[in-house]
Amino acid sequence: MKFLPLVENEVLKLLKQRRFRVVFLILVALIGLIVFARVKGRERFFSGQDWHVRVQERVAGMQNALRSGRMPESAARWTKFELARLQYHLDRDIDPDAVSGPLFVRLFANASSYLLLPLLALVFASDIVSSEFSQGTVKLLLTRPVTRARVLASKLVALLLAVTVMVFVGGAVAYGFGGLAFGFAGWGAPVLTGFHSSGGTVDISAVRAVPLWEDTILVFGLAWYACLAVGAIAFLASVLLRSTAAAMGTMFAALIAGTILPRVASTWEAQKYLFVTNLPLPDYYSGSPPPIPGITLAFSVAMLTLWALAALAVAFGVFVRRDVLA
Amino acid sequence: MPGATVLSAEGLSKRFGDRVAVSDVSFEVAAGEILGFLGPNGAGKTTTIRMLVGLARPDSGRIRIFGSDLSGHFVEAMKHVGSIVESPDLYRYLSGRENLLHFSRMLPDGAATRIEELARLVNLEGRLDDKVSSYSLGMRQRLGIAQALLGNPDLLILDEPANGLDPAGIREIRQLIRSLAHERGLAVFVSSHLLAEVEQMCDRVAIIHRGRTLAAGSVQDLLERSTAGRTRFIVDSPEAAREVLARQGVTEVSVEGRDAVTARVSREAAPAAIAALVAAGVALFAVERPSSTLEEVFLEVTGGETV
Repeated sequence: MKFLPLVENEVLKLLKQRRFRVVFLILVALIGLIVFARVKGRERFFSGQDWHVRVQERVAGMQNALRSGRMPESAARWTKFELARLQYHLDRDIDPDAVSGPLFVRLFANASSYLLLPLLALVFASDIVSSEFSQGTVKLLLTRPVTRARVLASKLVALLLAVTVMVFVGGAVAYGFGGLAFGFAGWGAPVLTGFHSSGGTVDISAVRAVPLWEDTILVFGLAWYACLAVGAIAFLASVLLRSTAAAMGTMFAALIAGTILPRVASTWEAQKYLFVTNLPLPDYYSGSPPPIPGITLAFSVAMLTLWALAALAVAFGVFVRRDVLA
Repeated sequence: MPGATVLSAEGLSKRFGDRVAVSDVSFEVAAGEILGFLGPNGAGKTTTIRMLVGLARPDSGRIRIFGSDLSGHFVEAMKHVGSIVESPDLYRYLSGRENLLHFSRMLPDGAATRIEELARLVNLEGRLDDKVSSYSLGMRQRLGIAQALLGNPDLLILDEPANGLDPAGIREIRQLIRSLAHERGLAVFVSSHLLAEVEQMCDRVAIIHRGRTLAAGSVQDLLERSTAGRTRFIVDSPEAAREVLARQGVTEVSVEGRDAVTARVSREAAPAAIAALVAAGVALFAVERPSSTLEEVFLEVTGGETV
């Protein structure tokens, strides 16, 4: 039996379900709102001011705060990092706050990679197997001359396609709205990359400027990879729990815990082995200080890969063997 | 005309924790014959069907379809099978046609070309492009049957196919299933808790109760076996008749109302019993032998449990 018609089936079912359209509506609405908020915010704070003055004021404020010595250590690390970044821009006469359409796309990728896009990815993933159980259609799906492994594989391929399209559409919508608000040009603008923070100091020896488009593709690639990993784990939840609500609830809780944990318990080092801690790949790439010592981009990519592969192995093992009694 | 064995189940057993759902169930279905699988709800019918179509794995026993072992050669075996398990659950957000196209993509090439013909067969051609969510239960049941026939199966496994159908619909489905078996030579396995349905539709019956098959045979055989059933004597004096019959060695004699006695009298023993009653001066108005139904057979073998 050919494999492609099975994938066609799964893609068609995804497209026909309302949740697919809802996810894209959410993307459009949210990005529109963010752009609107940014435009409004700039009007209020930055109108008619020379950016040099603004950035120098910020630098002075941070230096004062650091000297006061009352800042917690993690905040101080951050501040030092931000200071180095601002100073670098000042030295080269680049406005660090200037937003263009392309830069907005880059910002969106960065900001959405650890929560928004993974959340939307798991809306697809947590449903794709369990819905067959809740509808009862799994009985028809698994009584065909097709092995269970192939049925599940076709669902996995459809899920990967849906997540990929979603990340693409997210980027396109961000560029559309961002372009309308801040101008479409600016893909060639230099972006500074290569900051490394280690042991409380920011190492700028490797900093170099790359064109914005190159940086954006990389960041989107990382966000996409994080979404695939979340998709694979939610896929397992969907297989194990056989209920969309339960799978989605579990995954939501995990993702949200992942954003809270590093803040409330940053001293618990073992959390770097959790998949949620490793989701903000673009942050780790851009050289932000990691929430937990020991996390690097390579480490996080490796952890996510391990988690995703293990989840898929368990999902296939269970799905192929388990009795269907629902 | 039953032909070669299409489906054979040998010693199927399945337990869920401590509860034995199915225990040592065996049967065979031949080409061109309809086997009715009869039992009350909870008797193990659906569990058995789930094992037949590979949804559940038997703890022991084996299932063969055209000689292919289901657990070892699932894909080969399932090429011959069309089924409805429990309710005809289809994708409600898709149209009837989209559902059939969906399942045809999971079958060998050519299944999609049968869609129009099947829609006509189950009387859905006018509604094929409507969403299944707008279908009545009867229409979904018929779409389910079309779906089961898509792959041109040699074996049809249907779980309660009459569910949700009105009397006219039931008659239609019955005729359809009979013609599929008797004219096209399909082997059909039908489960039901409706005795009348099984009696009218099936060639052979297996009765399952509490996970075990209690009786199996052709409908005719089972009916004859139970005509060792009760005989009813309408008399002027039931008490006197009871004594006479008891003296004759007839068992299970009981007085019914003011003018009747019933007793278990075999065909061979009947003339002697009648002669004795007449000789004893009992006025005998009538002797009745209510024609036995599958229902009685069923009550007999299940020990009185109703369906």
